[in-house]
Amino acid sequence: MEKQRLKLKVNGQEHELYINPKTLLVEVIRDHLGLTGTKRGCDTVSCGACTVMIDDMAVKSCAVLAVQAEGRHVRTAEGLEKNGKLAPIQKAFLDQGSYQCGFCTPGMLMSCEALLEENPAPSPEEIREGIEGNICRCTGYNSIVRAMGAVAKGNYREE
Amino acid sequence: MKKYSVINTHVHNVDGIAKVTGRAIYTFDVKLPGMLYGKILRSPHPHAKILDIDYGKALDLPGVIGVVTGKDTLGVKQGIWRRYQDLCDEQILPVDKVRYIGEPVAAVAAMTEEIAEQALDLIDVQYEVLPAVYEPLDAIKKEAPEIHEGFERNINVTRHIEWGDVEGAFDEAEYIREDWFKCGGQAHMCMETRAAVSSYTPDGKLTVYHSSQSPYYMRGLLAGVLGLKESSIRVISHYVGGGFGGKFELDGAIFCSAVLSMKLCRPVKIVFTREEDFIATKRRTPMSYYVRTGVKKDGTFCAREAKVFTNGGAYTGMGATALYLTGFFHSFPYRWKGYRYDGYRVYTNTLPSTSMRGFGAPQAMWCSEQQIEWIAADLGLDSIEMRRKNAHYSGYEVPDQASIASCGIDQCFDVVQKWIKEKGKLPENRAIGLSAAGFMSGGIFNWFDSPYSFSSAVVTINYDGTVELHVGAQDIGQGSNTTLAIICAEALGVKIEDIKVHSGDTDHCPADLGAWGSRQTLMAGNAVKMAAEDAKKQLLEVAYAQSGFNIVYDLDIKNRWVHALARPERGYDYAELVKKAIRGKDGQRIVGRGYYTPHRKGMISPAYSYMMQAVEVEIDKDTGKIKLIDSLTAHDCGQPINHLGLIGQLEGAFSMAAGYGYLEYMPYEDGKLMNPNLVDYKVMRATEMPEVPVAEIDTYEPEGPYGAKEAGEGLTNPTAAAIGNAIFHALGVQMKECPIKPEMIVNALNEKEAKEKEGKE
Amino acid sequence: MIHDFRYLKPGTLQEALSMLAEWRDECKIICGGQSLLIVMRQGLVVTDTLVDIKGLNELSYITYDDGEGLRMGATTTHRAVEKSGLLKEKYPILVAVEKKLASIQVRNWGSIAGNLAHGDSSGDLAPVLIALGGKIKLGSVKGTRVVPLEEFYTGLFETALTKDEMVVEVQVPPVQPRTAVAYKKFNLIESDQGIVGVAAAMTVDASDTCKDVRIVLGNSGVTPIRARSAEKVLLGRKSGDRLLEEAGEAAAGEADPVSDIHASEEYRRHLIRVLTERMVRQAWEKAIPLE
Repeated sequence: MEKQRLKLKVNGQEHELYINPKTLLVEVIRDHLGLTGTKRGCDTVSCGACTVMIDDMAVKSCAVLAVQAEGRHVRTAEGLEKNGKLAPIQKAFLDQGSYQCGFCTPGMLMSCEALLEENPAPSPEEIREGIEGNICRCTGYNSIVRAMGAVAKGNYREE
Repeated sequence: MKKYSVINTHVHNVDGIAKVTGRAIYTFDVKLPGMLYGKILRSPHPHAKILDIDYGKALDLPGVIGVVTGKDTLGVKQGIWRRYQDLCDEQILPVDKVRYIGEPVAAVAAMTEEIAEQALDLIDVQYEVLPAVYEPLDAIKKEAPEIHEGFERNINVTRHIEWGDVEGAFDEAEYIREDWFKCGGQAHMCMETRAAVSSYTPDGKLTVYHSSQSPYYMRGLLAGVLGLKESSIRVISHYVGGGFGGKFELDGAIFCSAVLSMKLCRPVKIVFTREEDFIATKRRTPMSYYVRTGVKKDGTFCAREAKVFTNGGAYTGMGATALYLTGFFHSFPYRWKGYRYDGYRVYTNTLPSTSMRGFGAPQAMWCSEQQIEWIAADLGLDSIEMRRKNAHYSGYEVPDQASIASCGIDQCFDVVQKWIKEKGKLPENRAIGLSAAGFMSGGIFNWFDSPYSFSSAVVTINYDGTVELHVGAQDIGQGSNTTLAIICAEALGVKIEDIKVHSGDTDHCPADLGAWGSRQTLMAGNAVKMAAEDAKKQLLEVAYAQSGFNIVYDLDIKNRWVHALARPERGYDYAELVKKAIRGKDGQRIVGRGYYTPHRKGMISPAYSYMMQAVEVEIDKDTGKIKLIDSLTAHDCGQPINHLGLIGQLEGAFSMAAGYGYLEYMPYEDGKLMNPNLVDYKVMRATEMPEVPVAEIDTYEPEGPYGAKEAGEGLTNPTAAAIGNAIFHALGVQMKECPIKPEMIVNALNEKEAKEKEGKE
Repeated sequence: MIHDFRYLKPGTLQEALSMLAEWRDECKIICGGQSLLIVMRQGLVVTDTLVDIKGLNELSYITYDDGEGLRMGATTTHRAVEKSGLLKEKYPILVAVEKKLASIQVRNWGSIAGNLAHGDSSGDLAPVLIALGGKIKLGSVKGTRVVPLEEFYTGLFETALTKDEMVVEVQVPPVQPRTAVAYKKFNLIESDQGIVGVAAAMTVDASDTCKDVRIVLGNSGVTPIRARSAEKVLLGRKSGDRLLEEAGEAAAGEADPVSDIHASEEYRRHLIRVLTERMVRQAWEKAIPLE
């Protein structure tokens, strides 16, 4: 299979890759770029562990052909921090203990971040709907909702 | 509750930064130079002889490096119950026959995952299909096919628990009720599927990265099956994406990758797909329960008799323990004059069943707590008061079984009663269901036959006062690294930031039985406390020598402050003391050692947690759909240690337990799992979770570090029964089978209506 | 594993249609891929050529006028429908249905046409659009044709698309006055696909009598089913408990549901009966304007 050239912007960085066009975005992120924060937990677009942001949207990267992300900005959990400074949602997760095994966490953070960027003050119901596509087997979700609520309240407003 | 410097304060999880920034490397992420990708060929038959495996065509496929079958192994029948050879019955790559659909038959290593998968289609296996049997009551028939040689009637394990004069106690009873129940299986469904990277090198050493609950068990088991010395094997589990009881036995990923790596002398990575994780990793044990209970009209419990058949599936796994614990916890948390339990674990040609969070107790409570509610209703008694009348208390001895040193169940009843009263009248389509439970804080019975202390810890103090804490306890998300760091900091008298936890590597960490049976806070916690106190003692020896105080004055370290207890304001920085102490030891760091193995605590557990849970459920009568509205759990775990971790564990336990109650059905047809994916296997999502407030009851467990007991597994026990009881109170129907599907509720209502009509005619 | 394919990315709709004409049954169209990639990964769909229309922004639009009604381009995402202020005003049922469809991530990337063309009878959009009298516009190099959506589904995962056709637009007629639409799917978890689903569109006359009604059953057969017998029960009648029960029973009788691990056939019929009653009642109540 002839490889295709793909120019991809990930976490603010431009990359040039040569890939088989059937390569999924999650495979490019994890295997070609070595960004293993984003995980995979299923084969049926169900679990959300592979959630990244494409432009301002949360998407499941296991259900996106990498070639379709050309010209867009892909953001993963590794891109949330700025020069080592954690994003508000990351700080909130630490304060609330919104993770346990941590496997769903990178994807969960991206769903949360996408929601906050669209709606900086979501209600608890909106928060739950916002992360409905992400399965967490450990936390029971309520600590994640609390973390989002804290950010929504403005507890982590950047100076 | 006592106030501590570090214990039960709001401490960040020590692995937090790695986990929230995507830096944590799980076995799923591990990549080694020269690594190959492995895939497993699985049996399509539930029961068949393996006549021949021809993999020549697979080897010819470009990119395929090697193939292994049972013939490449030592053929060792292994099992986690090492002490009992006849229960070590699983080869993982079987040599002679397969016993369940999905069992590994061969494994391929190739340059890419895709090539490995293509190679599977090129392996030709000749089977002689044998008759198969899927249900315990069919498998014990005389004409049923023999699944394991030497196990008559396919009865794998039996357990018998009895105390008191059971028949006499039944004679005393004024009301007797008997019911039959069915408890389903459940999938662990860890977010990280089974994964292993095995690397065998020409020096005869094997390094394995494994998503595991017990690197120590993995090392021991691998040594047994591979014919290697334990010290030649290194197991690494830095970050584990969930375990829940499914990851402390050898699985197909670790075994096949190790065998491939040994044959090819290359690293081999095997990661299960979600489908493989469903069909080929052991599940919660499905059980059929018969319960007969006798009480007095005033609600005093007299006798209980239970007969249980469990569907063991094709291999023993941890099923023998689950068989015992279900019968034991079926008596909890109550006093019985006469109690008898007979459990039969039966082999069938289905997915082997094993331990899963709760370890047989969720099934036990599903039956016991519902029947108790029905008895209270039959007799017109308040079910909480009836429970209270018969409950355990501190100092109670479960005859021949256990000593209950601390028990807060009575206060649990008070809290729940108050909550129900404050709720007041509920809307018509809602009801509250209750369930009590109790659980173990680690097991005593050494079926693994470990020669080592159950838990060990080493505390090493550096010159700058920071601490290296080496433990064998495994963090699988429950937060043990943090919990143990907290205990260490408190015991030593330093801050949590001073502690660096080392775990998850058998080369660098002491042996520890691992994360199961809710044992680590109590057992590893005790080991850590002992090690920290040992180190502190060595520091204080130097401090005493310096201080010149009268011998009646005691010194201590708290918040990095060395001081006399009687004069806390007069003291000095702990860091100064450390420098002096190390100088005094000729430049050697201060090393403290600790360990713990339960002694003289019976054969089950050193301590027991208690709880009472109330769940408010809304039910749509016409469709049978259930919605969880609210809940309250009163919980006695002794002294809470890790505040954030505790809340997370309790909320998480609820989500899993509720799933067992009404979402996570695992239907099989002729030995085949019908929903091996996350579309058709339903798990709790954020929109379904109610608030799960927990009221901690203040008790102190003498056997636990700072009085602590387990938390997080016990709370998987009550919820299914609580949901069942809510349905009983809302609709008057008795749900005998879990998980409850809406269709079952509609059918039960129709049956009830039909019976009532009949009654009228 | 996904089978290797030749990847084609047309820049315009015309290019896409030419490609379809050239490759015909040897190619598949992908837009968001939220349904397609799963079945390709499982090997259920194997194709040598994939035509990617995700980038065809000319097909991403939501327009409305009182004469023609609603027009939505094929590559319009679910999320665009969910967030559309225009739709919230004119066709709020579409916004409501999208809110509970799959997950936000899937709605962000998946297209409405992809969803409809996939032909999954457990889908939510098709029953609702059929209840609204929706039509689907199919295009090929030969031109376009408009097909009523209820005629678009011909069998299990089968549609009326010929080998050289693709969906270009979804059309919904303007909503008549005194009309309301209700939809509910039955599931254990919010946003899960429905075990069954019922859409009801009710138009009443000045005396609140049923003037026009469309009842569509989802996941109750190999395709969405117009419950015409149930509709007949209601036409020209005034609302009442007994009438609604009758309609529910009729709908349950018309359905052709399967028995699977989630529900038996009887229970599905039972749900259809209950949901039909409820949706018709809801739509009827909403259709009557507040005085």
